[in-house]
Amino acid sequence: MSRPSKRSGSKERLEARGVAVAFGGIRALSGVDLEVRRGEILGLIGPNGAGKTTMVNVLSGFQRPTSGSIRLDGIDVSRLTARKIAQAGIGRSFQAARLFRTMTVEQNLSVAAIGSGQSRRDARERALDILDWMGLAAKADHRCDSLSYGDERRVGIARALALQPSFALLDEPASGMNDAECEALMEVIAELPARFGCGVLLIEHNMKVIMGVCQRIHVLDGGQSLAEGSPQDIRMNPAVRRAYLGEKAADSTLAI
Amino acid sequence: MKSNAMPSLASIGRFWLPVLALVVPLVLIVVVTGQFGGLSLQRTVVEMLISIVIVVGLYVFVGNSGIISFGHATFMAIAAYGSAWQTCCEMLKPITMSGLPHFLRDQSIPLLPSAIVSVLLAGAAAFLTGLVIMRLTGLAASIATLAVLFILNVVYSNWDSVTMGSASIVGLPTYVTAWLALGCAVLAIVVAYLYQISAFGLAIRATREDEVAAAASGISLYWSRLIAFTLSGFLVGLGGVLQAHYLGTVSINNFFLGFTFLALAMLIVGGMGSLAGAVVGVVVITAMVDIFRRLEGGISIGGQQWSLPAGTQELIIAAFMLLILVFRKDGIMAGREIALPQQPQREKGLING
Amino acid sequence: MANIVQVLVDAIALGSLYALVALAIGLVFGVMRLVNFAQADYITIGAYALVVPTASVTPPLLLGALPAAVMIGGVLLVVVVLALLTERVAFRPLRNSNPSTLLISSFAVSYFLQNLVMLIHTGRPKSVGIGQSLANAVEIGGVRVPGVQLLTMVVTAGLLVALVLFLKRTPLGVQMRAAAENFQMARLLGMPANRVIALAFAISGLLSGAVSLLLTIQTGTLDLRMGLMPVVYGFFATVIGGMGSLPGAALGGFLVGVASVLLQTYLPADLRPFRDAGVFTLVILILLVRPQGLIVTSAAKERV
Repeated sequence: MSRPSKRSGSKERLEARGVAVAFGGIRALSGVDLEVRRGEILGLIGPNGAGKTTMVNVLSGFQRPTSGSIRLDGIDVSRLTARKIAQAGIGRSFQAARLFRTMTVEQNLSVAAIGSGQSRRDARERALDILDWMGLAAKADHRCDSLSYGDERRVGIARALALQPSFALLDEPASGMNDAECEALMEVIAELPARFGCGVLLIEHNMKVIMGVCQRIHVLDGGQSLAEGSPQDIRMNPAVRRAYLGEKAADSTLAI
Repeated sequence: MKSNAMPSLASIGRFWLPVLALVVPLVLIVVVTGQFGGLSLQRTVVEMLISIVIVVGLYVFVGNSGIISFGHATFMAIAAYGSAWQTCCEMLKPITMSGLPHFLRDQSIPLLPSAIVSVLLAGAAAFLTGLVIMRLTGLAASIATLAVLFILNVVYSNWDSVTMGSASIVGLPTYVTAWLALGCAVLAIVVAYLYQISAFGLAIRATREDEVAAAASGISLYWSRLIAFTLSGFLVGLGGVLQAHYLGTVSINNFFLGFTFLALAMLIVGGMGSLAGAVVGVVVITAMVDIFRRLEGGISIGGQQWSLPAGTQELIIAAFMLLILVFRKDGIMAGREIALPQQPQREKGLING
Repeated sequence: MANIVQVLVDAIALGSLYALVALAIGLVFGVMRLVNFAQADYITIGAYALVVPTASVTPPLLLGALPAAVMIGGVLLVVVVLALLTERVAFRPLRNSNPSTLLISSFAVSYFLQNLVMLIHTGRPKSVGIGQSLANAVEIGGVRVPGVQLLTMVVTAGLLVALVLFLKRTPLGVQMRAAAENFQMARLLGMPANRVIALAFAISGLLSGAVSLLLTIQTGTLDLRMGLMPVVYGFFATVIGGMGSLPGAALGGFLVGVASVLLQTYLPADLRPFRDAGVFTLVILILLVRPQGLIVTSAAKERV
């Protein structure tokens, strides 16, 4: 199940190059460069409306970039449909979990495994494996419309993993979770690279989660890259502090 | 370690329960009405079983994909006419259907091969139609299936030398018995069940729930729908052949909006989200139609002859369907199969108990 | 030359009739995502309101016996009330259902109404003579235009203009357009749903009533399914025009009407009965090339 992930080859990366997206006259993204390597967790942060979700939509094929390109392991995938991109190994979760509501938890995961080309039997095995690992085994045969909010979100992440992606894009997985749930989620996310051999792009508003699990952080503001670096760098970066906290708070000692 | 040993009897039972729960009552109905029922009740039962083949066929696409199809009567008609061309009225065919190719016009083809060919024809027609229509999504796809229904109706109503236009073709061999209809109904149910729990079935149900999330899970909306559409074309084709050889006549007017309405009403009333819903819907609507048909025919209460005006039955069915849509929009079965309670809870119960 | 002009006149007359029907469908679709099969029965019932319910094939006139203006007003009123009634009884309780459920429920309403008419008037086609004076042709610049077609064109043009003015100039009309363009947004912004939806039904009833009268004058017959073909054409028109786009619906209506007349004129005689099949095939082909229709609105796209 797990692939070797110690050393990222030069090609083992998901890159956005000069990506711009315009809706009518509004520029959601303008010329963003971004790179996720296999085996690392990259945080993508920024104020509301910074273009984070648009970036995930572009990377996962749901939004065609107005200009720029997306490369997966060095190959241009900008023109592929969302389905083809998923099959090429980019899994994603959604802000609203978007589960297949009348289906069971196991079936939700199996759909993604089937989408990646597995037989029904293998898909079920993979699904149960992941659920077991995430501590959701007891819920495997529950219908998704009977799940608690926290479980719904975790199943959404699990489903993205069932695709056995080489890159997992997680869109605000912790939103609405309580502290205990957040802690558990951080453990899961932190383990993803080692267990699945994948790279992770993590969008999250909860700074504790971001600072806790990311090796690198990329900051978007107003559709443009503002900064990139280690959690330590980003924490200290004055431009980031300004964007987040407004001019006034820029020199306050508040930890973000 | 995953055990590949023989599955236990209990797990086989659990696996087949949703099918058995539908099939066993149907067998009982056939046995009991065969022993004790009058002729008209027996006819109703056969019609019900044929409807089950058709509605389960319709369910394979509509239920699993969530896309309403108005076009399935097309594939029934194609199979029914296909079978009529092969088996009907050898003496009259050269005159009434002079436009048929020689190998059909001048001879009859044995029943079994002709039935198989007709069903294949329906499936092929569904596949070809699906190739085009499944590119569309949602409502546009539904309306395109309506276009297909109208195209077939216009063509078959006017293609006089082959279909006898809007006249009925009569004199098809009537070989359909209650047991044959039951066999086909069971076959349809088993096929639909195995399909819906297969990888293809799971994939298309995912597209029904959420097209975006399905695409993000690597599922092709187009192919999964095309497979369902084709399979359901085969099944309604089987229904078409059965109906043709039960009634002994084929008429294009029986494959138009009235029929489409009744089939959809059955599916909706039972609940289009589950196989059990499709079957239950057929049973309920068939019973209603039968009761009101009798009332329209006239009954005597206390020596007084009393009857409902003709057409009441249609009004009541339509009103009933609307009531279901308003007050129980997922139908009688609410999208669920007949199954035992979920396993994990049971296990927990055992441990705690 | 004159022949071509004649064909053109035919094409425009039928096209504008279908455009009316398509607009009636498109308006209701715009405000509640309902593709309304019962539109066919609005047309049928409007026409049947002209006669007294009997089993006779030449029934005595009811509304049809009244002076022209009262007759027109009466038919329009009947259809508007009917449209509002179906909205209130059948569609309002389903307002938050998905479009497939709405579609199927309108199918049930249509089936109900059709059988109700059958119960009241019997299923036999009937002949009814109103507006016979309009059958005479009028000669305009060497082209003989049947009065009925002239009337159809004038009425539809008038209604189209009135509708456009209403949609552009009145607050309710603007809200209705906004709803059609972006349904979710309009609801979020507090579109007064009950009022706008009822109004859309009333207008669609009004347009359907006009179609009832025009069809009856054209054909001189009543039939249970007389509304069916125009509405099916209207469906296809709204789909190829782009669901949710009102200009698209009108454009689609013209296109299918024109295509129908052209096929009727230029197909070899023995293929003419297949004309409708030809038009519907064309519809599917257009959808293949432009699955979202000719005019794409946000209604047709889903956001992630």
